[in-house]
Amino acid sequence: MRRQIPLILTFLTGIAIFIAFFIPHKPFNEVQDILLDWAIIIAGFALLLGIHSLLRKHITHIKKKDGGWGYSLILTFFFVGVFTVGIISAIQYKGYSLTPGSLLYFVYDYMVIPLSATMFALLAFFIASAAYRAFRARKLNATLLLIAAVVVMLGRVPIMENAFFNFLSRFSDWFMFIPQMAAKRGILIGVALGAFAMSLRIILGIERTYLQ
Amino acid sequence: MKERKGLIIGSVILLIIFIGMLIKGEPSKSILVWIAALLTLFIYSFLYRDNIFYKFAEHLFVGVSVGYGISVYWQNAFIRKVFDPLFITKTYIVDGQFHLWPLLAIVIPTLMGLLMLSIFTKKQAWLIRIPIAFVVGMSAGISVPSTFQAYIFEHTKNTLYITLSISSFIMIVGVITTLVYFFFSKEHKGLLGKTANIGIWFIMIAFGASFGYTVMARISLLIGRMNFLLYDWLGVIK
Amino acid sequence: MNVLLALLFLMQQTPNSLPSDTTEVIEVVRPAPPTDVIAMDTPNDVGGSVSVQWEISEDDGKGLNNVILYNVFRGQSEEGPFDYIGTVGAGRTSYDDQTVEKDKVTYYYILKAQTKEAVESEASNVASGKAAPQWFHHGRWNILILGILFALFFAFYIRMAKGKKLFIRKIAGLDAVEEAVGRSTEMGKPVLFCPGIGYLYDIATIAALTILGRVAKKTAEYETRIIMPNYDPVVMSAAQEIVKQSYTEAGRPDNFNEKDIFYLTQDQFGFAAGVDGIMLREKPGAIFLQGVFYAESLILAETGHSVGAIQIAGTDRVTQLPFFISACDYTLIGEEMFAASSYLSRDPVMLGSIKGSDASKVVIISVILIGAILGILGGLNIGPFGTWFQSLVNWFGRG
Repeated sequence: MRRQIPLILTFLTGIAIFIAFFIPHKPFNEVQDILLDWAIIIAGFALLLGIHSLLRKHITHIKKKDGGWGYSLILTFFFVGVFTVGIISAIQYKGYSLTPGSLLYFVYDYMVIPLSATMFALLAFFIASAAYRAFRARKLNATLLLIAAVVVMLGRVPIMENAFFNFLSRFSDWFMFIPQMAAKRGILIGVALGAFAMSLRIILGIERTYLQ
Repeated sequence: MKERKGLIIGSVILLIIFIGMLIKGEPSKSILVWIAALLTLFIYSFLYRDNIFYKFAEHLFVGVSVGYGISVYWQNAFIRKVFDPLFITKTYIVDGQFHLWPLLAIVIPTLMGLLMLSIFTKKQAWLIRIPIAFVVGMSAGISVPSTFQAYIFEHTKNTLYITLSISSFIMIVGVITTLVYFFFSKEHKGLLGKTANIGIWFIMIAFGASFGYTVMARISLLIGRMNFLLYDWLGVIK
Repeated sequence: MNVLLALLFLMQQTPNSLPSDTTEVIEVVRPAPPTDVIAMDTPNDVGGSVSVQWEISEDDGKGLNNVILYNVFRGQSEEGPFDYIGTVGAGRTSYDDQTVEKDKVTYYYILKAQTKEAVESEASNVASGKAAPQWFHHGRWNILILGILFALFFAFYIRMAKGKKLFIRKIAGLDAVEEAVGRSTEMGKPVLFCPGIGYLYDIATIAALTILGRVAKKTAEYETRIIMPNYDPVVMSAAQEIVKQSYTEAGRPDNFNEKDIFYLTQDQFGFAAGVDGIMLREKPGAIFLQGVFYAESLILAETGHSVGAIQIAGTDRVTQLPFFISACDYTLIGEEMFAASSYLSRDPVMLGSIKGSDASKVVIISVILIGAILGILGGLNIGPFGTWFQSLVNWFGRG
C-alpha cells in the first residue's frame, strides 16, 4: 500500500501530462501550466522543511560552541534580519515585498547583487586556471579542446586588424556554426533519448530509486 | 617565517596603495556602496585561500539569500497562487456561480504541500512520498513530448537541410559519429570504435569552441566588478 | 471624386489668381484590394482564433507597387459594420485573428490594402468563418508516431532482456564510483554529493538522485560519511528518503545521519559560495557534481580540484560540460548520466531500456543518412528525389 500509492500517482500524473500535450481542447491545454503551479506550491511547503534543516544545523552548532560556531551565528543573524526586513516590506506593500523602494529591495540591491556578481566574476580566474591545466595535460582530447578554444577566442576578439585575424574571425564563426553545432546536436539527441528512456522507466514504475 | 614576512610586506604595500587611492580619488559617500565594496573584496580573498573574510562573507551570503528567498517565495508562490485566489479574488466564484474545479485546483496542491510536513511525524512519515511522486511523475510526463519536439525533431530537421557543400558533409559526419559515440549496446571496437573515436573528437572540439566563446564573457564580468570598485566606490577613475 | 479633381485641375490652369507656392495636385489613386479572401478556424488550437488568408493585391510588388500593408476588418454580419482588428505588412497572405470572443459563431472579414500615404483600397470580398477548439493536435502526429515507435522498441528489448545478460559498453565515470568512495574511506575523508541547482521536476535531477542511491549504498558499506548540500528543499526531502533507504538496504540503518543532507540556499551563487566553503573545510576525498548546473559549474569544479578530491561530474547542460571536462577527473556526458542507474544496478530490465534507446538512435542515424542521400540526389535534380526529400523535411518540421 505504501509503495503502491506513490507509484500509481506517478503513473497517472505522467500519463495525464503526456496525453494533454496532444489535445489542444480545454481543459487539456492548461494541464501542464496548472500542474507546474502545483509543484511551486508544494515547493513552498518544502521550503519550511529546508529552513528547519538549515536552522537546526546552525543553532546546534552555536549551542555546542565547537569550531567555527561564530560563523553559524553570523548566518543565523543575517537570516533572521533579512527575514524580518522581508516581513516589514510585506506589511508595507501588502504582500508584495519586492517593490522597488522597499527595505528588502535595498538588501537585494546592495548585498545579494554585489555578492552574486563577484562570485560570477571569479569565473574569469577559474577559466584561466582551467585552461592552463588543459595546456599541461598532454592528452589528445585536452589538446583538441584547447586548440578549439584558442581559435574561437582569438576569432571573437581580434587583437589586430589584419588579414589573418579577419580570416580567424570568419573561421571561428563558421566553426561555432558547423562542427560545434554538429556535436551539440548529437549530444542533445542522445540526451532526449536518454531522458525518454528514464521517463518511461519512471512512469512504468521500473525505476524506483527515487521513491523507495 | 618567510611566508609571514612576505604576507606582512604584501599587506603593507596594499594598504599604502589603498590609502593613496582614498586620498587621490573621490570615494563614495554612501554606506551601502561601502558595504557592497567590502563584501566584494571579501569574496575575492577566496582566490588567495580560505580565510576569515571569505568565511564571513560566505555565511552572510547564505543567510541573506535564504531570508531573501523566503520573501520571494512568499510573494510569488503563496500570495499569488494560494492566498489571493482563495481569499481575495476568489477565482472559483464566476458570476455568482460556484465552480468546484478552480477551488480544487488550489486546495489539492495545498493539501499535498501539507503532506510534505508529515516527515515530522513518526508513523505517517511515508506520506511525504505522495507529493514527491507527483512532482516526479510530472517531470517524466513533461520531459517526453517537449524534449522530443525541441531536441529530436528540431535537430534532425535542421541536420536535414542539406546543401552540396563541405559544411553539410561535416555536419552530417559530426552528428552521426557523435550519436555512435553514445551507442551503448556494443563494445567500441573495430569500425564502430573508430567512428565513436571521431565522435569524441567532435565533442572535444565542440566543447573547446564553447569554452573559448565564454572566456570573453567571463572577463567582461571581471571588468564590471573592477569598474564598480574603482569607479563607484573609490572614484579613482572617472 | 473626379469632379473635385477636375475642379482642382481647372483652378491650376488659371494664371496669377493663385499664390505661387500652391502645392501641386496630388493625384489620388487607390490601390487594388487583395482578392480571394477566405476565413477558417485556426487549426490545432483551443478555439478563439480564426485564420484569414488571401491573394496579394495587384499593386503589391507589381503594378503600381504602392501597397505597404493590409488592414483587416471584422464584423458580425455580411453587410457590416466592420471594425478594424489588425494589420500585416505587404507580401503577407495570412492573418490569425486571436481576439475572437465566441467559438462556433460566424464572423465576417474584409481586407483593404493601404499605401504609405494612408490611402486605402476598396474592400475585398467578404469571407466568413468561425472558431472552434480541436480535440487532437494534428501538427503533432509526427511526435506521437515516433514516440510510440520508440516506446515499442523499449517494450521489445525489455521483454527480451528478462533472464538474459545484456552488454553495455564501459562508462569510465561510473566505473570510478567504487574507486572514488574507496579512496575517500582510505583517507578517512567524507564524500560530497552536490545535486546541482535543478528542481525535482528536471529529469536530470532525478537521474542525479538515482546515482545518489548507488553512491549512498557504497558509503553505507564502507561506513564513510556522505555530505549533501541542496539547492531545492523538495530535492532534499527526496534525497533524505533515498539515502535512508540505501543505508537500510546495506544493513546499516543506524549510520544514516539525516543532518548531513541539508538545505543550503536557493540562490545560485549563494549555493556555490556555500558549497565551496564546505569543500574547503570538510576536504572531501571524493566529490560528485551531478545534475543541472549553470554558470557556477566551473566555480564548484575548480574548488573541488584545488582540495585534491577525485571528481565525477555529470550533467545534461551542454554549455557546462566543457568546464567539467577541464576540471574533473571523470565526466558523464548527457545520456551517459541517464544510463547511470541501469549501468550501476545491472538490472536486466533497465538495461533493456538502454538497448531500446540505442535502437532509436539507429533509426535516427538511418533517417539522417537517407535524408542526406535524398538531399544530394535532389540537389542534383535527379528524379523525384527532390520532392521526397522535401516531404521528409516537412514531416519533421510540422507541429
